[in-house]
Amino acid sequence: MSASRVEELQQAASEKRGFSLGELVRRRPETITFALLVAICVAVAIANPAFLQPSTLIDIGRASVVMGLFALGVFIILAAGGIDVSFTAIAAFTMYSMTVLVQRYLPGLPIAVIIVMATAGGALLGVINGLLVHHLRVPSLIVTIGTQYLFRGFLLSFIGTVWIMSLPPQMGAFGRLPLLQFESANGATITLPFYFLVLPIAAVITWWILNRTLMGRAIFAVGGNANIASRLGYDLRKVHVFLFAYAGALAGLAGIIHVCANRQANPFDLVGTEINVIAAVVLGGAKITGGTGSVLGTILGVLLIVVINSVLVLVGIPSTWQRLVVGVFILLAAAFFVTRQRKK
Amino acid sequence: MSANLGSQQAQSRFLELRNIQKWFGGVHALRGIDLTLELGQAYHLLGENGCGKSTVIKIMSGAIAPSEGEIVLEGQSFSAMTPIQSLSAGIETVYQDLSLLPNLTVAENVALSEQLVSGNGRLGRVFNRSRLKETAQRALETVGLPTDRSFLNTTVSDLPLAARQLVAIARAIATSAKLVIMDEPTTSLTRREVDNLIRVVERLRQENVAVLFVTHKLDECYRIGGHAVVFRDGQCVATGPIENYTKKQLAELMTGRAIDSERYRTAQPSPDVLFSVDDLIAHGVDRMSFTLRKGEILGITGLADSGRNELAMAITGVAPARSGKMSLNGKVLDVRQPVDAIRQGIGYVPEDRLAEGLFLDKSILDNEIALVLTRLSNSFGVVDKQAGRSLAAKLSEQMRLNTKNLDLPVGALSGGNQQRVLIGRWLSIEPELLVLHGPTVGVDVGSKDTIYRAIQTLAEAGMGIIIVSDDLPELLQNTDRILVMNSGRLVAEFETEQASEDQLYQAMLTSKLETIQ
Repeated sequence: MSASRVEELQQAASEKRGFSLGELVRRRPETITFALLVAICVAVAIANPAFLQPSTLIDIGRASVVMGLFALGVFIILAAGGIDVSFTAIAAFTMYSMTVLVQRYLPGLPIAVIIVMATAGGALLGVINGLLVHHLRVPSLIVTIGTQYLFRGFLLSFIGTVWIMSLPPQMGAFGRLPLLQFESANGATITLPFYFLVLPIAAVITWWILNRTLMGRAIFAVGGNANIASRLGYDLRKVHVFLFAYAGALAGLAGIIHVCANRQANPFDLVGTEINVIAAVVLGGAKITGGTGSVLGTILGVLLIVVINSVLVLVGIPSTWQRLVVGVFILLAAAFFVTRQRKK
Repeated sequence: MSANLGSQQAQSRFLELRNIQKWFGGVHALRGIDLTLELGQAYHLLGENGCGKSTVIKIMSGAIAPSEGEIVLEGQSFSAMTPIQSLSAGIETVYQDLSLLPNLTVAENVALSEQLVSGNGRLGRVFNRSRLKETAQRALETVGLPTDRSFLNTTVSDLPLAARQLVAIARAIATSAKLVIMDEPTTSLTRREVDNLIRVVERLRQENVAVLFVTHKLDECYRIGGHAVVFRDGQCVATGPIENYTKKQLAELMTGRAIDSERYRTAQPSPDVLFSVDDLIAHGVDRMSFTLRKGEILGITGLADSGRNELAMAITGVAPARSGKMSLNGKVLDVRQPVDAIRQGIGYVPEDRLAEGLFLDKSILDNEIALVLTRLSNSFGVVDKQAGRSLAAKLSEQMRLNTKNLDLPVGALSGGNQQRVLIGRWLSIEPELLVLHGPTVGVDVGSKDTIYRAIQTLAEAGMGIIIVSDDLPELLQNTDRILVMNSGRLVAEFETEQASEDQLYQAMLTSKLETIQ
């Protein structure tokens, strides 16, 4: 190689080092998500300073857990170029079956075991997704639409349709277990529940898997180009099974936390919220075509959706407007990401 | 002593294919291939598109299984290999599509495979980041790419094509490979980068690595040296030291017929000026002026960054000029986008026929008439199928397409035939000026011949033709005049009859050195 060519490339590389907002957004699209989040928070805080109370922030934190777990699962599948719409059905299936199982047959089961079983159950259903996607060679969207109906149909036909209002005591207790507790100015007790911890832990584990293990890189490799990844020696079957099992496990975990937090188990719950979660992940900068995105972006996307859903009310914007705002944001963010990429 | 020598020879025998057969559906793609590759040797796998070269490579790399036959790898016999088996044995392939993962970084693309292979494909492991970096830096340095942190962390989709090709080669040599297969590794490299690649190959051979090239560029084969392996119709028709064969002999072995590698250009252009460019300034083009006569074939060449590509794109409106004057038949042209050029009689066959030209899953018919749908349709916008079909049939014949079935999807054709379909499409607008950009990149010898003959026929009919290419023999065989560009400017002009490859190459380089100094 000629010296001039090397210099050229090095020059190009050093140009990249110079700060440019466009370049930053292109490489780290979650900057936009973060900016939107900050903008909304500032606007709401100015309009209604009550927003900055600890109680509101804790509400946001609490409301993010289930959606955040779902979103991490969706993100990891999106990173591999797939899409999953069955995760809510998996969550509903595991949470309701576990509640029924504990209530009727194993009333003394410790909460830790319940959580582990729900997670494992979710993973198992995820494995079904993964095997189907791999062996049928059908787009994962179609497969998971099918399994969403399948899991949900099985739940409602064979396990039950009754709304369980009184949970087994250990589950209820877990939902109330405090991590932080203090009194607010008006004398009410504010609690950050223990289960909140699950989200940051799951996020860190997901980040670690994606960025430090060969499986994580394989997931992005498959998202970049599945044929090439397989040619380079990445085992697509392992990747597909792991991917959907992991997302299933997160869904199972999210389901059981959802039950404990709401202190009731409704078999008709959760299914129908998929689009909300996928929207959060896409707002976090992951491309719907796969191979990109980050855990941080995903969490920011979830916070953005949760903030929009929970705080617009605080400034007197009617709740019917939330969808409108979310829709506008998604279009804005998408337009922004796309034009950035084109400008390259 | 002699026994010792014999065992050494057995040791250096790395991979052996024995009577390999492969059927794809009813197509007999490989008809009993026997091939032995020894360590430390260079091989050139030659043959026309569709002769079975890619299939053999895929069998060696474990991407597909042979239908029959035996693969003997370091004395161990296989009926088929998996990609991981092939990789762990030290077989590395640089595919024509480069097989890079666009969303991963340079370092990951270069060095992650090594860790995957050393762990036998197990994925449930933490990878060693410092080893990743070291492996990547070592391999990048060997191929002459930067090794600093920002380059290592660049996403591959942000790199120019030539750099990607080098990254793909770096990946192949990052592992302790014993056989490196390169499928047309030099298509987007400049001469200097090719020189560097040849040095890399020399080094690999000294380290006792076998190298298998698949290429259409015979000149490079002679420069590298080693064994020629010629395929035709799924059979190996010749093997032996490449210097034992002349270019003409190789071409004949590949095609099975005599190929004339002499000048194609016979006719004389008319004295009337057809097209003129004055003081054209565009991105990468600095005050270019030249003229083209009716029926003249003009070659434009230069290094990859010389501005030759940009000039072609400025003329044809793909990347319009900022200033300057172009006129065709005395009429001043106004070209701001490709459709302006088309309307005013300029056709453009781009270099990357797959990305910029053809609809692969559509039929030959649909591809041929894509530019003239308005002309073929009635006032209700309904396309006259019959007129389209007869036009497409005429164009296919003009371009000597080797099939009469116009409903065949273009993706099913060989590279040479695809290129003919693309050129045929441009003939449909009956252009007065046709700009061909790398008309035979990735096209086999037999197809080149047909394409060249077709180009000559067009020129004889009075069309002005500009060929933008870095394939110097191609320009010497086909043109009347050759312009050499550098840094966006015209630096030399040759009457083709009096020019040689060396002179052209010197002109491309010398002016480069002057600009650096």
